[in-house]
Amino acid sequence: MALFPLTSNFEGDFVLQLVAVDTENTMDEVAAAAAVHSVGRRVRARPDCIMRIRRQGATDFLPRAMKVHESGLKPTETIEIIWEPVRH
Amino acid sequence: MAVLNRMDWYDLARTTNWTPSYVTEDELFPPKLSGDFGLPQNAWEKYDEPYKQTYPEYVKVQRDKDAGAYSVKAALERSRIFENADPGWKSVMKAHYGAIARGEYAAASAEARMMRFSKAPGMRNMSTLGCLDEIRHGQMQLYFPHEHVAKDRQMDWAFKAYDTNEWAMIAARHFFDDIMMTRDAISVSIMLTFSFETGFTNMQFLGLAADAAEAGDHTFANLISSIQTDESRHAQIGGPALKVLIENGQKAEAQKRVDIAVWGAWKLFSVLTGPIMDYYTPLEHRKQSFKEFMEEWIVAQFERALTDMGLDLPWYWDIFLKDIAQTHHGMHLGSYFWRPTLWWNPAAGVTPDERAWLEAKYPGWNDTWGQCWDVFIDNVVDGNMAMTYPETLPYVCNMCQLPILGTPGKGWNVKDYPLEYNGRLYHFGSEVDRWVFEQEPERYAGHLSIVDRFLAGMIQPMDLGGALQYMNIAPGEIGDDAHNYAWAEVYRALRAAKKAG
Repeated sequence: MALFPLTSNFEGDFVLQLVAVDTENTMDEVAAAAAVHSVGRRVRARPDCIMRIRRQGATDFLPRAMKVHESGLKPTETIEIIWEPVRH
Repeated sequence: MAVLNRMDWYDLARTTNWTPSYVTEDELFPPKLSGDFGLPQNAWEKYDEPYKQTYPEYVKVQRDKDAGAYSVKAALERSRIFENADPGWKSVMKAHYGAIARGEYAAASAEARMMRFSKAPGMRNMSTLGCLDEIRHGQMQLYFPHEHVAKDRQMDWAFKAYDTNEWAMIAARHFFDDIMMTRDAISVSIMLTFSFETGFTNMQFLGLAADAAEAGDHTFANLISSIQTDESRHAQIGGPALKVLIENGQKAEAQKRVDIAVWGAWKLFSVLTGPIMDYYTPLEHRKQSFKEFMEEWIVAQFERALTDMGLDLPWYWDIFLKDIAQTHHGMHLGSYFWRPTLWWNPAAGVTPDERAWLEAKYPGWNDTWGQCWDVFIDNVVDGNMAMTYPETLPYVCNMCQLPILGTPGKGWNVKDYPLEYNGRLYHFGSEVDRWVFEQEPERYAGHLSIVDRFLAGMIQPMDLGGALQYMNIAPGEIGDDAHNYAWAEVYRALRAAKKAG
């Protein structure tokens, strides 16, 4: 359990933002923490989508249940939060 | 008594180099301060300034300039222009004075370095006058806003901005410290006068003079026109120095300095001047968009100046040409969204008419920047004001110290340009900012951005209140919408009409 700073690059937003998470947080929780600073402020919510996390430049998402301390992310590293359509 | 014509004696009178006998040349002109680039004194004696002026001529002309500007101010002091001005215009004045006035005094120090340490006698003469220019600019731009301090606390930032940790001022100090306070005399001539003043002060001062006249603020228009006449003279100090360097095989070093300074100047102007021209200036007073102004006054002028000089366009020119249509929209949205951290009240500039103008000038604006503003406007109309403010810091660039941003919405292209150096992860807003860092990492590596300071625990408590205190923004100075959100009424009416219809 330790505070961990990340840089949020949220799909559709215009600026990188500092997001404080916990090393025990899952990627879904990280996405939710990042969304607080973008969704409803400058980005519209998309109920048809979930939010996924990937490293900048990567094509694959990190597993949703993966914890920050398992991810290999470095403090302040930039993550992309991407809208993924929900499969029905 | 007959007086010789100036050109009969000027060259001889300013030939003031001599061969030192009590000290070495390096003691007289320490290379770190003079920046001789390994060239002997006689190479620098070929420096030929295009604008030759003697001290008596200078004093006479400057006296007339001062008399003009001060008499307009005196005549209009009771005119209540400030009280009646559009709030957007007041914001322009506040941003300008805070960002510029005290920097002029710093520039006097940079000119003084050229005056004492340049090996080129012609440069020493020109920068003697340049130094006096900058002192005059500092004095005027502190004296003129002073009459407004009693009316508006934010005007105090003309005096205090440079002493604060406000984020835009950290960015301004980082840039000016780099190009003019910590460089040798020759590099100052290239980076401050040739790169920054030739292009960018033209824009700030000529563009703003036109806007001021349109806004009916003739005191301000006269003040900055008066300043620009000095700038256009002492901006020419760098050109002949570049010529000397190129003729002596130092083109690569000269080019590097130009490339670094032009980029830094561009970033600073994208946050200072871009929002003013495309968002704060009332629609009916806009002559050109920021992009059009940049293309006419900066791009065309620089391309000509660089080619004439025998230099190349900066390697990043294509990136720059693309960015002049984009970056300042993000700087505006960012500074507006984080408005409590400004010492002026930004105008939103996003009524339907203003958006139509933006769309015409920047096709695609509504599908990109407009998408972010749509969410913002809905929150204002709904009275959901908490969501119109930030709850965290934007990540800022470790070079320009400004938010790292890109185009949002359908054109989403936001990207970080990271670099690990000596175990620390740095973040940059562009490939060019990162390139500047890589040219001389040790020069920049120790600096802490506002985000680095926050993470280091230097800002306490770690919330907006703590941040405002750290930035020295006192109650009564905190920025908010220039028009108190009156512009949103039209959206409220549109929504009501839609509901009724």
